[in-house]
Amino acid sequence: MNEVSPAGEPLIRLRGITKEYTRGGETLRVLENLDLDVARGSFEALMGPSGSGKSTLLNLLAGLDAPTQGTVEVDGKRIDQMSEGKLASWRSNHVGFVFQSYNLLPVLTAVENVELPLLLTPVASSERRKRAETALRVVGLTDRMGHYPRQLSGGQEQRVAIARAIVNDPLLIVADEPTGDLDRASADDILRLLETLNRDLGKTIVIVTHDPAAAERARITHHLDKGKLRA
Amino acid sequence: MFVPLSYNVRSLLVRRATTLATAVGIALVVFVLASALMLAEGVEKTMGSAGRPEIAIVVRKGSTAEMGSSVEEHEVGLVKSMPGVKKVNGEPIGVGEVVVVASMEKLGANGITNVSIRGTSDASASFRPNVKVLEGRLPTPGADEAMVGMRISGRIKGLALGERFDIKKNRPVAIVGVFSDDGSAHESEVWLSADIVKSSFGREGAVSSVRVELESLASFEVFQAAVEKDKRLGLTAMRETDYFEKQSEGMSMFIRILGSIVAVCFAIGAMIGAAITMYASIAHRKREIGILRALGFSRLGILASFLFESVLLALFGGVMGAAAAFGMGAVEFSMLNMSSWSEMVFRFVLTPKILVTSLVASVAMGLLGGLLPAIRAARTSPLTAMRG
Repeated sequence: MNEVSPAGEPLIRLRGITKEYTRGGETLRVLENLDLDVARGSFEALMGPSGSGKSTLLNLLAGLDAPTQGTVEVDGKRIDQMSEGKLASWRSNHVGFVFQSYNLLPVLTAVENVELPLLLTPVASSERRKRAETALRVVGLTDRMGHYPRQLSGGQEQRVAIARAIVNDPLLIVADEPTGDLDRASADDILRLLETLNRDLGKTIVIVTHDPAAAERARITHHLDKGKLRA
Repeated sequence: MFVPLSYNVRSLLVRRATTLATAVGIALVVFVLASALMLAEGVEKTMGSAGRPEIAIVVRKGSTAEMGSSVEEHEVGLVKSMPGVKKVNGEPIGVGEVVVVASMEKLGANGITNVSIRGTSDASASFRPNVKVLEGRLPTPGADEAMVGMRISGRIKGLALGERFDIKKNRPVAIVGVFSDDGSAHESEVWLSADIVKSSFGREGAVSSVRVELESLASFEVFQAAVEKDKRLGLTAMRETDYFEKQSEGMSMFIRILGSIVAVCFAIGAMIGAAITMYASIAHRKREIGILRALGFSRLGILASFLFESVLLALFGGVMGAAAAFGMGAVEFSMLNMSSWSEMVFRFVLTPKILVTSLVASVAMGLLGGLLPAIRAARTSPLTAMRG
């Protein structure tokens, strides 16, 4: 499935993006003069072979990295011009992350992991706990709140990660291979959950995936090859 | 905002073995430092508590200790008659005493040591109100009898109640009593009649020092001026507290400096240990740190978090070391008093100041040892979280 973004002001606007890395004195161009719009409330997938630049692109639009050239605008703000400190603060308020390996802190319980992003906001401690519990309820893990990650299955860990991603009500959820480490049944559960978040809560979601089943759930799929978007 | 403290506490608990090994290293440093400070405090307390501010001690000019001083017997009366000396029923309160050291055999350890022997007058015990006979009785004046301080009793051959020692060849003296003096240096002495000491050590006609009780604390200046201006005497007067402070300051400083040098050497090792632990922990948790950075925690927040973890680790070691040092409070330590060259027994005395110093030292070790690893942690890129 490869569709055109819906009409209207996009949430994310990337223009002329080039990203280069220098390794061992050699310059490696990962993205080249790329333009991309992601509409508000959209669910979009980035696909492509390994090394095509899809994860780099995801990092740029999530404010984890800065482009070598070009502009990254999210919700009308030029995040490529922000200082590192401002960018960290922006991420904490506007982006929810879902990683392939779940990336929960092993020494914190499920509810404490979900609370983490709220520690960066002025939300009071009792309210933090309430919101974390609500987020865990949304992902169907009410009975696992006090469990440590090692006591959860892969699918449950990823659900906790999704609860952590939505707890601060972000503008954007980015997911890097969210089903990469899961069996088919768990992967389908996670994809259904992401779909629900997009459809029912209106969350804008961008995922990077190799999984055609995952891409099929997205409303738009972008294909990358050698740092360029394939038409 | 800062990373929750429970993250650090639990991270330390998860790595129990390395946490414990590092904490033990720090505990050892704190134990050495606290013990040295406790011993120095014990020396000061032992020497200091022998003195009272209302007592003045008079020794030969140029002498730094009683043992090296000689005051002619006829001068004792002159000193006691000086202005400022307290009188009861017209009699000035004061004692002339002779102090010598004798070589004696240590018990429980091979070797000979010096023991302070104080030749006392009939008034010596009553002159010191804190002196209490714990066992036995006071020696009979003029008899070949002695009493021994509680700290040294049983440590030296012949110096226990009911035993005898030879004050000189074929002149045995019986130990008839054991006394205490509120923890002072006198508790490491043997007391017997001054006449026997003088005749046994060839010190006839002279004493080592004269102690007088002053009318008031303010009388000291008048008394001192009178003693030191009298050209016939060639003597000098000090408050007894100042005298003992001078006696102890060299020794306590020596212990403090030596203890601190040893502690600093150990501390360098412990800090390297703490740094290695934190470096290893940070390398192992690189991705966790990346996640925190990706979620929006600032470099400063990460730096503070890992510094806190390092300080917590060090403080845990510090508490263990301080607890071990607290146990040293029950230990007595026998060493040569460098001012009298005689055996003296000291206690390790723990004070709140030493406790605070030890814990502050452990916190400092945590901060210094954890700083570079914490900086490394703070430099972790948020992209680390994205790497598989």
